[in-house]
Amino acid sequence: MKKPIALLLAAAMTAGLSACGGSSEPAGTQAPASSAAGGETKEAQAPAAEGETQASQTPGEGAELVVAWWGNQVRNERTQAALDLYSEQNPGVTFDGQFSEWADYWNKLATAAAGHSMPDIIQQDYKYIQQYVSNDLLVDLTPYIEDGTIDVSNCNEDILNSGRIGDGIYAICNGINTPALLYNKTALDAAGITVKDNMTLDEFVALSKEIQEKTGYKTNLAYGNNEILAEYLLRADDIVMFEEDKLGGTAEDYVAYMKLYEDGIKEGWVIDAAVFAETTIGSVEQNPLVYGTSPETMSWCMCAYTNQLTAFRNAAPEGVEIGMTTWPSKDPAKSDYLKPSQFFSITKDSANPDEAAKVLNFITNSVDCNNILLGERGIPLSSAVAEAIAPNMDETSQEVIKFINEVVSPNSSQINPPAPDSASEVNNLINKLEEQVCYGQMSAEEAGKQLFEEGNAIMGSK
Amino acid sequence: MKSLRQKLGRESVAGVLFTLPFTVGFLLFMIVPMGISLYYSFCDYNILSPPVFTGMKNFITMFKDATFFKALRVTFFFAFVSVPLKLVFALIVAMLLLENSRMSGFYRAAYYLPSIIGGSVAVSILWKRMFAMDGVINKLLGAIGIQTSFSWLGSTKTAIWVLILLVVWQFGSSMLIFLSSLKQVPQSLYEAAEVDGASGPAKFFRITLPLLTPTIFFNLVMQTINGFLAFTQCYIITQGKPMDSTLLYTVYMYQQSFEFHNTGYGAALAWMMLAVIGLITLFLFATKKFWVYDGGL
Amino acid sequence: MREKRMVKKVIYHIIVFLIGIIMIYPLIWMVMSSFKEKSTIFTTAGSLIPEKFIFDNYVTGWKGFAKVSFATFFQNSLFIAVVATVGTVASSALVAYGFARFKFKGRNILFAAMLLSMMLPAQVLMIPQYLWYQKLGWVGSYIPLTVPYFFAIQGFFVYLISNFIEGIPAELDEAAKIDGCSYMGIFSRIMLPLIKPALVTACIFSFMWRWDDFLSALLYVSKSSMYPVSLALKLFCDPGSSSDYGAMFAMATLSIMPSVLIFLFFQKYLVEGISTSGLKG
Repeated sequence: MKKPIALLLAAAMTAGLSACGGSSEPAGTQAPASSAAGGETKEAQAPAAEGETQASQTPGEGAELVVAWWGNQVRNERTQAALDLYSEQNPGVTFDGQFSEWADYWNKLATAAAGHSMPDIIQQDYKYIQQYVSNDLLVDLTPYIEDGTIDVSNCNEDILNSGRIGDGIYAICNGINTPALLYNKTALDAAGITVKDNMTLDEFVALSKEIQEKTGYKTNLAYGNNEILAEYLLRADDIVMFEEDKLGGTAEDYVAYMKLYEDGIKEGWVIDAAVFAETTIGSVEQNPLVYGTSPETMSWCMCAYTNQLTAFRNAAPEGVEIGMTTWPSKDPAKSDYLKPSQFFSITKDSANPDEAAKVLNFITNSVDCNNILLGERGIPLSSAVAEAIAPNMDETSQEVIKFINEVVSPNSSQINPPAPDSASEVNNLINKLEEQVCYGQMSAEEAGKQLFEEGNAIMGSK
Repeated sequence: MKSLRQKLGRESVAGVLFTLPFTVGFLLFMIVPMGISLYYSFCDYNILSPPVFTGMKNFITMFKDATFFKALRVTFFFAFVSVPLKLVFALIVAMLLLENSRMSGFYRAAYYLPSIIGGSVAVSILWKRMFAMDGVINKLLGAIGIQTSFSWLGSTKTAIWVLILLVVWQFGSSMLIFLSSLKQVPQSLYEAAEVDGASGPAKFFRITLPLLTPTIFFNLVMQTINGFLAFTQCYIITQGKPMDSTLLYTVYMYQQSFEFHNTGYGAALAWMMLAVIGLITLFLFATKKFWVYDGGL
Repeated sequence: MREKRMVKKVIYHIIVFLIGIIMIYPLIWMVMSSFKEKSTIFTTAGSLIPEKFIFDNYVTGWKGFAKVSFATFFQNSLFIAVVATVGTVASSALVAYGFARFKFKGRNILFAAMLLSMMLPAQVLMIPQYLWYQKLGWVGSYIPLTVPYFFAIQGFFVYLISNFIEGIPAELDEAAKIDGCSYMGIFSRIMLPLIKPALVTACIFSFMWRWDDFLSALLYVSKSSMYPVSLALKLFCDPGSSSDYGAMFAMATLSIMPSVLIFLFFQKYLVEGISTSGLKG
């Protein structure tokens, strides 16, 4: 008997010893750092008291900044390399790059926010920025922009303002994005069908039917992600879907949206909802645009964003070319918009916001830095930087720049203000109701009305 | 000194001392987090801002929440079907693998492996592929003459069974526990029964099964708790689709807590589940004296 | 008679073997997929054998993220899993003995507390636990991932072992007691050898669960050089952007190896009958 236990103990000890070399040091140094950021400031949540924690560390000398983001292997690699470059140019500043998968990232960040121990710099998304600002968790960057720490002279005003909430700018966009309808160009070419930019919704529906008849490919409107398409379509009628505490427009507007699905299912050009039960929603590799064994279970298009073009091209089967155009809308100039693909923000828990602001400036304006990042998050905010790194970017990225500059920019409007916290529950509701319509359990009429009623109730209750 | 030793030697004191690690651990690591979460269940809380006490509001909301009842129904069905199936399989396979042969190491590993790969992404992808319209299952059905392109995961009637199959497939841990207790049954009992001329089935029903009842009870309690708290299978494969027909309770709780940021409501859902499982466990313990073999050998 | 036995044996092996293959089919699929070109993993999901065996996935996967390779992740996981397992099994055995063999005041309450603590989903304790460990100053270290396990906080193991102890004839310890053996002596010299199968089972489970656990690692580990494998594996997938399933399958394949090895090493102890050789005391 004693043998296995003894073996285990021995194993534990050797593992312990070997691990000590690598990891006991961070374990030791991390604890005080986190208690400084979290424990002590816990009572000192008020912004006024924050000066004290700042003073305890002299910026620029031995500052360690924690930077957190979500992403894949490529992004992790490049972002860390860019931060290392900053350390090289600014001796004494070191970084602890923490990266997680999307869903994990937000859970971890929210938990850290509850404990007032968020990283110094966080990657932020348009979806969540409103709630982080309204809970007073992010630093207003306006003073840094005014005193020139963050130079925004080359930045697109509209995009810069997407980080504005109320009177402050709480986030700096790190990549420009626009909606892009990605499509299976190979299948369409074979059937002799061409797609033109700025299609109206009616043209799109007619096209979808034609494609279904000629090629068998069906259409995925925005399964599991309906809020983005619904919001886009409503913009054509000057309706803001997520107002502060209610849904914009009338019940009829939402009925019209659900009608798209109802008709599409009846007429057979909308893809069967069962297809999505067999794939992972949100995974590019399993999206019916690129994944499936027969046209019947595949879609000829996908309502995506420009920064996903590379991912879809990588995921497409050999010989399938992915094209890009605008999403359908009866008035593209009103519907279409430029969007921050993501932001960087400085948190109120940061002991060193001044240094963090310098890092944001570095990411925004340094050509060297962006030569490492190479627009992986989207087209750089600064037009000077975008121009400078363009020759080093791959063909797909260059195509995206062209698309944004020539197709979308001249024919778009300012993005809707960021949605409030309750939007995520409403999004879930839309997708559930859409599913019911697709399964024939509910008419578009019922679904649209229920969405408007329950959606308003959810938004009003928070 | 001697009196201290005598004191330590007393049964009641020794019991307290031996269980002391758990007592300390419970007080140090569990009671506080559990208390905080119980408090949250009476609060409006969205993680990012401090909780606001709202009394019974969350529990009242629950009784008007159709999705709550739906998730509860799905979970009851899931647990009541999957737990017995899993235990029966585990017991049968444990009996089969009891014999020591040259291959038994390999066999045990093979039957246990599904539990090791557990809830990995690979399993979720493969499982979906297998039950897809053009997947292996339909191909096998085609091979025996049933041509179909039925979408097992796309139908509200069958999707839950795909999840049930996944948990039953991972019966390995219950099997190991059965294996280790099967060997605890003294050989002398079987020998005595053989002298009396008992047949194989008679030996199983008169000796093995009764002596195994404490282990069956243990597995039943643990698997019931696990069944009601099942999360991963649903989270990685169906996310409740289609139309909430596979929405397990904990996944709904997770959505409320972390996706909709109704964290207070999520905590209330969790404590409601604790009450439900608690009652079921209490019921199981109450039945214990009727069927679980008690006492030394 | 002998022939009949032989036939029975052959049938037994055929059946058990075939079902065994079905059981491990997903594992085989994963291993095979890890040798496929990453662009063909989904398109050829229906066929098991790769068109061309390649090792690229292992190379890109092992590289890890931002200069931290999987060698580090494996080392971290091994440390966490081994330490926590030793802690869990040792402390659970002690506590289990206390529950199984002694009647004392508060025993039932304690036992109920243990069961109750298993009935709350881990997700709901995430935030409260984080806040508590932060108060203790443990966030950012391995302490929350290891130290609590030395206090038998996983009721499952306590209950498992105590259930096993209850199946052991009480006469054995009575006799030892009369011989003047202390309770600690009875526990270490008589009990431990007898409950070997239960301890082995506990080791196998605990190691596997700690190895797979990523929720606490996500919350409490901050530096990427301290990530365990379970956390690192998830980093290959990025919804909305490219995911590298090839590298993920390759590393997932490697990741289950320690648990498989532990199982293969320990499984023979599982089914050892009660050996009297341990009863020297």
